[in-house]
Amino acid sequence: MSLTLANRFALKRFFRGEPAKTLNLLLNHRRIFILPNKAGLALTVVILLMLIASINYSNSMGFVFTFLLASAAQVSTLFSFRNLSGLSISSMKCDPCFLGQTSAALFTIEETQGRERWAITAKIDQRIVHIPHIKPYSHYQLSVPIVPKERGLSALNTLTLSSSFPFDIFRAWSPLRFNRQILTYPKPKSFNQPLSVGRFLHNGDALSSTQMGTDDFIGFSPYQHGHPLHLINWHALAKEKGLMVSQFSTQQQAETWVDWFNCSATNTESKLSELCQWVLDANTLSINYGLRLPQLDIKPSHGILHQQTCLKALAVFKQSHANR
Amino acid sequence: MQTVNLNPSSHQLLLFICSLLILPHIGTLQTLFIVIGFCLLGWSFLTLYFKQLSPSKWLLLPLSLGLAFLVFKFHGMSLGREASSSFLLVLMGLKLLECRQKRDVTAVIFLCFFVLITPFLFEQTILLTIYSFLIFFLLLTMMVVNSSQEKSLKKTYIYRFSAIILLMSIPLMLIDFILFPRMIGPLWAMPSDSNTAISGISNSINPGNISKLVLSKQKAFSVQFNGQSPAYAQLYWRGPVFWNTDGRQWTLSPPKKLINTANLLPATATYSYQLMMQPTQQHWVYSLDTPRSAPSSLILSQDYQLISPKKISRTQAFKITSSLNPVTEPVLSPEARQRALALPSTTDDRVFKLAKQWQHNNPSSIDVISQGLSYFNQQKFYYTLTPPSLGKDPVSEFLFHTKKGFCGHYATSFAVVLRAAGIPSRLVAGYLGGRYNEVGGFWDVRQSDAHVWVEAWVDNIGWMRVDPTAAIAPERIQFSLDNEQQFGDEVKFLIDSPTGISLWLRQLESLALTIDYYWQNSVLAYGPEVQNQFLSTVGINGWEDMMLTLSILAALILVSVVLYIYRISRLKLDPCQRVYLRFCRRLKRHYFEKHLGETSKHYFERIIEVDPTLSKSLSAVRQSYLNCRYAKADIQPLITAVKAFKR
Repeated sequence: MSLTLANRFALKRFFRGEPAKTLNLLLNHRRIFILPNKAGLALTVVILLMLIASINYSNSMGFVFTFLLASAAQVSTLFSFRNLSGLSISSMKCDPCFLGQTSAALFTIEETQGRERWAITAKIDQRIVHIPHIKPYSHYQLSVPIVPKERGLSALNTLTLSSSFPFDIFRAWSPLRFNRQILTYPKPKSFNQPLSVGRFLHNGDALSSTQMGTDDFIGFSPYQHGHPLHLINWHALAKEKGLMVSQFSTQQQAETWVDWFNCSATNTESKLSELCQWVLDANTLSINYGLRLPQLDIKPSHGILHQQTCLKALAVFKQSHANR
Repeated sequence: MQTVNLNPSSHQLLLFICSLLILPHIGTLQTLFIVIGFCLLGWSFLTLYFKQLSPSKWLLLPLSLGLAFLVFKFHGMSLGREASSSFLLVLMGLKLLECRQKRDVTAVIFLCFFVLITPFLFEQTILLTIYSFLIFFLLLTMMVVNSSQEKSLKKTYIYRFSAIILLMSIPLMLIDFILFPRMIGPLWAMPSDSNTAISGISNSINPGNISKLVLSKQKAFSVQFNGQSPAYAQLYWRGPVFWNTDGRQWTLSPPKKLINTANLLPATATYSYQLMMQPTQQHWVYSLDTPRSAPSSLILSQDYQLISPKKISRTQAFKITSSLNPVTEPVLSPEARQRALALPSTTDDRVFKLAKQWQHNNPSSIDVISQGLSYFNQQKFYYTLTPPSLGKDPVSEFLFHTKKGFCGHYATSFAVVLRAAGIPSRLVAGYLGGRYNEVGGFWDVRQSDAHVWVEAWVDNIGWMRVDPTAAIAPERIQFSLDNEQQFGDEVKFLIDSPTGISLWLRQLESLALTIDYYWQNSVLAYGPEVQNQFLSTVGINGWEDMMLTLSILAALILVSVVLYIYRISRLKLDPCQRVYLRFCRRLKRHYFEKHLGETSKHYFERIIEVDPTLSKSLSAVRQSYLNCRYAKADIQPLITAVKAFKR
């Protein structure tokens, strides 16, 4: 990976980082930059004043300590750099979230040089996480909150690791961009119309009420991962019969379509919000549901994976499709 | 009220550092400001345990204004060293009181760094330097603590970082210290500092003021001879030459530069030496007897004083050559003769009578002088450090009534009588002798060696040194005064060689003084002149040379580092890889570049797509490359295949 000269000195590189290519980046001299911070500039003024006093009084020891302070400041840049250098950062995952909610970008920071690291700050979009200490050769799990600004797939913004250790006069920083996408679902929102259940029925059995399915209880079955919580029979648990869930006959399980064309909302984003809310409602009712969008049909099903498929379809929905 | 979120242990460390910073100022600054400093620290310490005591903004503001006013009231609106040191101490204490955030702590630390150099404006001893290095280390530690927001001071890493950084910055500091262009200060005049008393010979002499100096153990200067040093009795260190007297005291007139040196006698025995002056805030530089050559920064005056155009305000070293034989000037100019004979109109008649009496028996100048010396010797004159105080006409009072005096009394009255006898004479102040340090091989001349003598004009000889003290107390010429054992009237000399513990103590003192001598010589005296001299020995003359040398040096270092890194990165490739990569570069010229991380298979396939005729030769290269690289086969087939490759 070589950089052209223009790339090398592009201002973007110092603050936004190099273009994202991988999920793992090693901090080295190419990615770590260092400049004095405000305190460093103040120290420069102090050193200058000390120098002027030393010159004025032709004071040898004044010179000695002025130069010693300046040298210590200079040497500290090396340690600021070494505090970041040799860390390997991997982007682990970013959980999808609804627009307006806070998700978290998870990273693993691996210390590869056998040095202790102190007082590092991680930042994405002005959200700051402090990492007080990283042990030699350890893995540090970093979680930085992110609040996506728009629906859909978006690239993870620059993660900036910075540190002013050891003297708080120089700030070393490293802007990192990972090849990681964040999925943001539309913001769920209820409009006038509730989720219409039973308009399209499996096997032709008519079910007209949203309360359907609870009456036709057929028995218990052992709990499996993915069963909705509200179906758990807590009484059975209390009687030490184990974790059981109520079962309903499949014939009588409600089935519905979450349909773009049924939306009461008018513009695209509101429609997506309404659809999103319906998907969540349908999931809460644990009924089979399908999603119908202008150019996409997702067959009725249920469960977490199905919900995610539907929500993703809503998230990546393009305005242009709606217009056709 | 804001809450204090400074953690207690770092607050304590900061308080500890600040109190260490005030300590060296005890004795140099006004006691009031030391007390105020400690009070502010004490207050800050109390806020650690009683949060309600921490002052509000509305209390701190008038307090700061009041204290600033106090500093200005004591020291005036000047930027002198006492004023600025006191002000900084007070500021440090006040800032400590409002330490609430990381930023405040940083401000206090920076202030502390400034306060750290203020004691050196008063004295620059080795002990103070070591002490300051300790504080410097603690300040760096405090910076680490502040940066990492460490709660405990028991963690070793904070000390480790500051110690390593301190050790690493010492070589850098030395380079700066040696190479940073020194300017000749001061940048601005400091009115309040000029009245700081520096003991030493002043620019006026009256009979009494030398005897006060003699009690001081302070160092005046030290001298290291190149080779043999002269005998003790010949160590007359000449300082200012006084021509004018009003009967009560002798005062200096501006010296004139010596222009014509053609008629002077050649020096018989010369001594070259390095003389290191302590700051005197005066213009003259002491030299052995008659200076013959001196650094160009000094001016040699007509009366053989070495004059520095700038006041000696810091330790400075001079290389001087002197001779012990006086310079013979053929004639005394009428103007100089008139000055050397001038007496105030108030001179007592008895002085003239005494002069007549000396002249009467012996008409020649030399005889008059020896007559005068024997007069002091035979009459009941006493050599004492505590002479009775003299009134309006000290010369006649001393000569005819009290007859008790010190070198100042003898020299001044002798010069006056000689003038009355028509012999041109002048007064020379300086030092006599010194203490030889056997460990370091140099002479230490202290204020207690201060001495005053007379120079008289004798036709055909020139200015001749006459020391009336020698006539009354010959021991003074042979030995230093023992200023630890002065009791009552009698003057004690260091005649007996010390034995036992006192010898041992003496040697220990010699050692300490030697260390101090080299400290002063190599560190404190490193000023603009020494720097230029040092740099010219390595061939750097002036600014342009310095810039050129430094840039060439920097470029060389940079190039060698780049070459080293390049070599390291080259070394990682084995020969097989190198041949292959060179081959790829050749292909790039004709076709296209190999992508990073692209295998030979993919790359060659891309080329074959463009030019299918290459299929055979490329696969030959590839096969031999893979064999060589991964099957550890010989490299020769690869080289042959590459050579055989034709486009």
